[in-house]
Amino acid sequence: MKIAKLLIALAVGALSLGSYKADAQEKFFRAVGTPHNPKVEIAFNRYYTYEGLVDNMKKIAAAHPDIAKLESIGKSYEGRDMWTLTITDFSTGKDTDKPGMWIDGNIHSNEIQGGEFSLYGAWYLTEMFADNEFIQQLLKDKVFYITPTINPDARNDFFLEPNTANSPRSGMMILDNDGDGEAGEDGMDDLDGDGNITMMIRKSPTGRYIKDPQDSRKLIMVGADKVGEYEMLGQEGTDGDGDGRVNDDGVGYYDPNRDWGWNWQPDYIQRGALRYPFTLPENRSIMEFVMKHPNIAGAQSFHNSGGMILRGPGAEEDVDTYNREDIRIYDAIAKKGEEMIPGYRYLTVYKDLYSVFGGELDWFYGVRGVFTYSNELMNSYLYFHKESEGRGQDEMFKVDELLTMGDAFVKWQEFEHPQFGTVEIGGFKKTFGRAHPGFLLEQDAHRNIAFTIYHAYHTPKLSVMDVKEEDLGGGLKAITATIFNERLMPTHASQDLKYNIERPDYVTISGAKVVAGFVIEDEDFNKFTEQKLNPEKISVANVPGMTGVKVKWIVSSGSNYSITVDSAKGGKASWKK
Amino acid sequence: MKKTLLSWLLIGGMGLSGAAFAQSDYPTLSQLNQRLERVASNASAELTSLTKTEGGKDIWVLKVGTGQLDQKPAMAVVGGVEGYEVLSVELAVQFAEKLVADHADALEATTFYIFPNMSPDAYEQYHASLKYERRGNAVAVDHDRDGTSGENGYTDLNGDGMITMMRVEDPLGEYMISKEDERVLIKADKSKGEAGKYSLYKESKDDDKDGEFAEDLKEGIAFNKSLTYKFPVFEPLAGDMPVTQKESRALLDYLFEQWNIFAFVTFSPANNLSSPLKYNAGNAKKRIVTSILEKDQALNTMVSDLYKEIVEQKAYQQDNQGTDGDFFQWAYFHFGRLSFGTPGYWVPEYKDSTGKAKSNAEVNYLAWADSLGMNDVFVPWKEVQHPDFPGKKVEVGGIKPFVMTNPSFDKVAEIADQHTEFILKLAEMQPKLEIHNVKAESLGNGLTRVTMDLFNNSAIPTHSEMGENSRWLRKIRIDMDADAEKIVSGNKIELMDSLEAYEKASLSWIIRGNGNVTVKAGASHAGFTSTTLKL
Repeated sequence: MKIAKLLIALAVGALSLGSYKADAQEKFFRAVGTPHNPKVEIAFNRYYTYEGLVDNMKKIAAAHPDIAKLESIGKSYEGRDMWTLTITDFSTGKDTDKPGMWIDGNIHSNEIQGGEFSLYGAWYLTEMFADNEFIQQLLKDKVFYITPTINPDARNDFFLEPNTANSPRSGMMILDNDGDGEAGEDGMDDLDGDGNITMMIRKSPTGRYIKDPQDSRKLIMVGADKVGEYEMLGQEGTDGDGDGRVNDDGVGYYDPNRDWGWNWQPDYIQRGALRYPFTLPENRSIMEFVMKHPNIAGAQSFHNSGGMILRGPGAEEDVDTYNREDIRIYDAIAKKGEEMIPGYRYLTVYKDLYSVFGGELDWFYGVRGVFTYSNELMNSYLYFHKESEGRGQDEMFKVDELLTMGDAFVKWQEFEHPQFGTVEIGGFKKTFGRAHPGFLLEQDAHRNIAFTIYHAYHTPKLSVMDVKEEDLGGGLKAITATIFNERLMPTHASQDLKYNIERPDYVTISGAKVVAGFVIEDEDFNKFTEQKLNPEKISVANVPGMTGVKVKWIVSSGSNYSITVDSAKGGKASWKK
Repeated sequence: MKKTLLSWLLIGGMGLSGAAFAQSDYPTLSQLNQRLERVASNASAELTSLTKTEGGKDIWVLKVGTGQLDQKPAMAVVGGVEGYEVLSVELAVQFAEKLVADHADALEATTFYIFPNMSPDAYEQYHASLKYERRGNAVAVDHDRDGTSGENGYTDLNGDGMITMMRVEDPLGEYMISKEDERVLIKADKSKGEAGKYSLYKESKDDDKDGEFAEDLKEGIAFNKSLTYKFPVFEPLAGDMPVTQKESRALLDYLFEQWNIFAFVTFSPANNLSSPLKYNAGNAKKRIVTSILEKDQALNTMVSDLYKEIVEQKAYQQDNQGTDGDFFQWAYFHFGRLSFGTPGYWVPEYKDSTGKAKSNAEVNYLAWADSLGMNDVFVPWKEVQHPDFPGKKVEVGGIKPFVMTNPSFDKVAEIADQHTEFILKLAEMQPKLEIHNVKAESLGNGLTRVTMDLFNNSAIPTHSEMGENSRWLRKIRIDMDADAEKIVSGNKIELMDSLEAYEKASLSWIIRGNGNVTVKAGASHAGFTSTTLKL
């Protein structure tokens, strides 16, 4: 045995050496874990606009036609296509016959890197498929549905229009935010024309701030008994509608992550909600896609920031929705994630973050029984590999001094303001703080996708095994079979079982004349539950993770029978005598 | 008795004068469409189809008004919220007919939106060859969530063209014959030592052989069980998510664009007009608000009193003040508007010569019907052969569908008259903004101080307490049209959260220069007012 393995290893080694030479890429040498000579070259140290993401997705689909398909699942508010990559080994079955993993990013338009992280996932899976056994088996068993940006309109707005790191959070629908009957009449004004909305300060005899004598980028408050030099005027902008408030009615306000149809609440209870669940065409398209893909068993949504792996419930009122058996599985997967992504903590939204209604992760779990995480990407731990000390701003100044060489800050510059007179405009750029600097992007993308792959790996994997026959005399025999699930997740989350969300799993025997059929409750003590109607197709409520369910038939004839299991979220498997 | 006689005479008289009432039964959808088109031929009314349901039926809105329709406070009148309440459709349509024909003066101050029928797919069942009280639309739904849609609806076991009840003699059953009326079955009270003798089901077979009867109906989603307030997730007729249906989305999308609606009158089972909703401090203060707010309760009481002055029928068993996912509560809790609801009709309380009331709604109904000689409202229990109960005695019978929720058609005219009067009286109470005490004082050197009071001359505030919280109601906006650079103090645009009933707010500006300035104040749902003065 050992010798055989060694031989194979040598043969594989020789083969890869051969292909290395054949590539004539003598300037590269493969680093472990990364496609070194990909069919599609993508730089993961920069950001992509919507068009940039779509370009790359089209290249992936074109380069890997056997494992990647691109489709538009709907249109955004402004009419952009919502592109989704379906990635699976199509030669081993239809995508809908395999447990599915949904991945999306960028629901909040300023939380951009979910786009690149999702794209990295698609790229990694397709480029590693050729020579990585684990990925080959994974794409044989599972399907990935990857939609890098589910907020394409405002993603582009974030990059191409003046914004802060926090804007726009919404999509591009323009509402009347200040309640004056006019919509979007006082938006952001990029006074210095640099594409970033930063801060305005003004010299004032009553101001309480000075510029730090050791670091003129910083504004510091003077002592209680000292006279200051500057006053803060807030965000760069003007009072566009003459109501005495700056930038008070711009794009958005609403929150696409308060628009999902589980325990949805209106705006006065849950700020940011719209008219009713799935008011937004982007979210509606996803909902319709997911409802048409009952095979989706896991979901991941990428946000920023703070370095968190989040699970629901989003709202305290939903505490009872998430029950113990399911939380055990959530915990097992996410604890592994904490090891895989240094600096990230596994948290529960309602108690560790804030209590919200109408979020995506609660919808996936509440309405579909899908195990779902939201990762808040980027964490200041990644800068110096230690927990940040003191005020976040101080660390940001240090990062920009030592690691990004001043590239993250717009220096204070004087500007003649139509309402405030002479002001100075400056501050951190919109792509700093919440977004990764380029040099951290690829590593964190890989770690988060590795976590998501681990999550997808643990969607159910079913097999029919341990089939036994027993002669009962009188031309009758009993056939028992075990349906084994060799992964963590059950075919039905307990939420799913509570509401009968998804149909039962069907275990069917064919090629035998069935007299009676049972689910075995306790084999040792002969405890069975009989299914009187259609006993050849036994309905099994659930196949739990890492264990199995046993079924039994009494048949009067049939020696060449086969047994299949068909589960919406657990895929299909069969056994033949 | 005298009163009944009088109203009979009244109806007779009306029947003679109005050709539109030549009908003897509730109209079909095509008859309704014709009547709506006739209303729309009036210059003040516009008929629009918001969408077509899965069953291919139009969801209509009649927008009725004159002049600047969107600048006037508006009321919405909604019918067909439950498909089996055919009366509700008739009340909404008759309101529209009377409004354009006899009450055009009401349009000077108010705009009306009439949504006559939100459940046309279900409404049709009233006229179908198989009649039953239907709620759901024509979408295929797997109500019992077993993986197959609509595979166990009703079966007309006795072939009488309607679905009633079936009872099975069964010592394990939970029902027994009522002591007050042997036609009626009631639940046995085990605590009183009563034993059940019957199982009771809707008239049906176990088509899918799962041991349940009529649990997976061949009808879809019920409009009045699928809105966002307390959405009963995964329940039959509700579905997986709220507001998924064409008609509910089309209606809400339309309403969210109509900023001038200040109140709804919904004809549906929920009733807060016979008695107002009750304020509960605990539920009003929770994050998810489930009680009417305190100030709105006072308003509800006032409007309920108005209703009871106009609508004569005394409340009986009107304890439905909202059900999960319904429209009436949505309009208040999730849309922030004043929301009033009534079924328009209910079976009156019947007391026999001894003055004793009945303990059960069906017993009460049958006693009342008997007293009026209505002998076609009950299907006598009759044995049938039932494939799912071999060897057991199965009987089909019971009160006919529709008769308890909808009066005979000859009663409708009076009900419609009273409800039309109520809606018009309520419209008269709408918020009314006025400007008073306008003053222009010269301060010398070309400066003028302009002061005035903005007054809500109405018993109804500009914003319900709930509406004040809602971003879907606009604030009161006061515009001073002087050039910004001429306004020395005061705002060119000012926003105000609300004005209470009969509340005033004082406004003041100092303006440079001379000429005319105009101040305009209001919000779409509270109306607008303006004044022009010389500096």
